[in-house]
This record gives sequence, structure tokens and C-alpha cells, in this order.
Amino acid sequence: MTQNDGEFDNLGAAAEPKRDRGAGLWPFWPSVYAKGDPLPGLSCKTARPGYVFDEGDELPEEYKSLLMKMLRHEGERAGNKSFLGLMSTCLDAAETLAPTPEAKLLKSEYLAEELKHAIMFHRLAVGLDKDFALRDVPYAHYAFHLPKETWADDAYFHFLMDLNGAFHSRDWRESSYLPLRKISRTVERDEFGHSEMGYYFLREICSERKGRILAQALLGKWYAAALDMFGRSDSPNTPKFIHWGLKSVGNAEIRQAYKDYVDRKLVALGLDLPDERENRRFL
Amino acid sequence: MSEILDEIRDAYALWGIELVVATYGTYYRLRCGRCGSLLGCVGDRLLPTMARAMLNGQFDLYAAGLMGCKCGYQAERARAMDPERAEAAITNLS
Repeated sequence: MTQNDGEFDNLGAAAEPKRDRGAGLWPFWPSVYAKGDPLPGLSCKTARPGYVFDEGDELPEEYKSLLMKMLRHEGERAGNKSFLGLMSTCLDAAETLAPTPEAKLLKSEYLAEELKHAIMFHRLAVGLDKDFALRDVPYAHYAFHLPKETWADDAYFHFLMDLNGAFHSRDWRESSYLPLRKISRTVERDEFGHSEMGYYFLREICSERKGRILAQALLGKWYAAALDMFGRSDSPNTPKFIHWGLKSVGNAEIRQAYKDYVDRKLVALGLDLPDERENRRFL
Repeated sequence: MSEILDEIRDAYALWGIELVVATYGTYYRLRCGRCGSLLGCVGDRLLPTMARAMLNGQFDLYAAGLMGCKCGYQAERARAMDPERAEAAITNLS
């Protein structure tokens, strides 16, 4: 029995050994999606041209510029050293802050899945602009640079920042750029699962008094950054993104949908919601 | 970038925490200035004044030992900076 008759790349799920992953909790998304779509619809409500572009198509200059801007912001790309740097901080967090072996295992599954995204976006980048494939693009938004000094910080990072990724991926379901539309569902459900992982950790943290005090005290820092992640409500680029079919909704609308979702989950943890304008930098 | 990095470094220095370059320069490890334990990480793209404000906001947590090194260095720093506030934090949060 050779066991190597097929290419591993093409084996799909069959290549996965049948065993529990992440202490039997991973992935987090299937049980939630089985109960119905957990995310709000983000369909475009304004009339716009029906552009569709695939890999290899000649792209209008403005379109390509906006698409590249979006992908630079997204950042999960194998050739992006700064993304790998961010992932290394997740390894550090797992090593030094994770409270249990189970938590470490879950973080290892998270890292593996983010590296899968890095390969997916690498392929997309190469198909778009070969020079982009190895370009280092440090995350520009401060939210990716906030200090993580406790396991609660790390849990907030996943619950809130990965959820931001899930919302944007949901928006890409209608993307005019086909390679992005094709990966949108996978990235969305994965990022949603990462957010659920963070929420799982937060539930554990908030289940005891000192943990809840810590989580409440740190919430203001992460909540403001999470809402700021969607950019300014009056961003001049938003109408262009929507016109070209690269986004379906504006920053204010997606932020509000995100906030509604997050607020429900935070209240369920017994936490008091911060003032939504406190510590905000991008309104 | 170095101005912001200096600001972050100075803000942590007040709490006896050192910044050490991680595997790639955008992110830094946070290390206890007394015992050398790894305490977490921070990136170098915070906005001006953000680092100091955040760490000031964490005063009570450091004082009560909910944040900071297990060796107690940051809690000691809090007591040295403002003994009354540190005592109140210990009472309220412990």
C-alpha cells in the first residue's frame, strides 16, 4: 500500500485524519451555522453597474487601485512578513498566556487556519499582481497593535477583530472580483469561528469574579478599536468601492450591524457596554 | 515610527516593562524588567498618546495583580507611584 498515489493538495477532506481537533471544540463555526445564518445580510441597496472581473481580465485603473487597497488592509498573505509577525505574537500568547493545554490546542488550530488563509490570499495576490505577492505591508490600523498582556486581551482580539474579518468576508459574497467572491464563504465561516473561539475564552474568563472584573476593565480598549476598524463613516472612497462592486455597504452601515451583533454577545456575558464614542479615533 | 516606538517604550518603562524585538520588527515582546518573564506583546503602530493613556487606565489592574508579572514588580510600581490609589485598587478588586 503506497499511500502516496494522489497529490495531497487534491485529497481535500480525505487527507484529514478522523480525530478530534482543538480538544474536540474545533472548528467553532459549524454548530452555529447549523442553527441558521449568524451574520446579518449586507446586500447593496443602491443601484450600480453589474461589473464582474476574473483573474487575468484587464482591470480599470481605479478598480485595481481600490482592490489593492482592500487587500493591503486585509493582510493575510503568505508573502507578507508583517502578517507572519502578527501570527508569531499569537504563538507567544499561546505559550505565555494560555491558561490550559486545551486553550493552547485551540490556538494552534486557529494559527493553522490563518495560515490556510495566507495561502488562499497568496494565490489571489499572484493572480492580480505578481509584485504584490512578496510585498511586506505592516498592518496600518492601531487595532492590530494594541498590547496583549492577558489572556482576556487575546480573547478580545479574536472575538472582535476576527469578527471584523467575518463581516468583511460576508460583504465579499457579492464582490465583483470573482477570485474574492469564490473564497468569501470559506474565509467568512473561518473568521466567524475564530471569533467564537475568542468568545468561548471570554465566557470562561467571565465565569469567575476576578476574570469578569478584568474583562470589564479591558473592554473599553478593545471595543473602541473594534468600532474604529470599519473606518470613517464619511470616507470618500466608500461610494467608489460600492460603485465598482468591491463593497456592498458603507462603513457606517457595516459598523452598526457589527455593533448590534457584538453588543448582544457582550451583554450575554454580563458585561456593561462602553459608551460607543469613548476613546474612538475614527468616527 | 521611532517616535511612537519611543513613546511606547517610555510608557512601559514606567511600569518596569521592557520592549524586546520579536521575530519581525513590527511587533515587540513585553518583558518584566525585574525577572525577565514574558508578559505579552505590543505593536509599533499605536497612535500618539495612546500607550501612556492605556497603561494609566490599567493602573488598578497592575496594582491588584490582575495584570503584570507574577513576581509582583508592576504591583510594586503601582504602590510606589500612588500608594493610596494602589491600596484602594487592592481592596476593590481583590
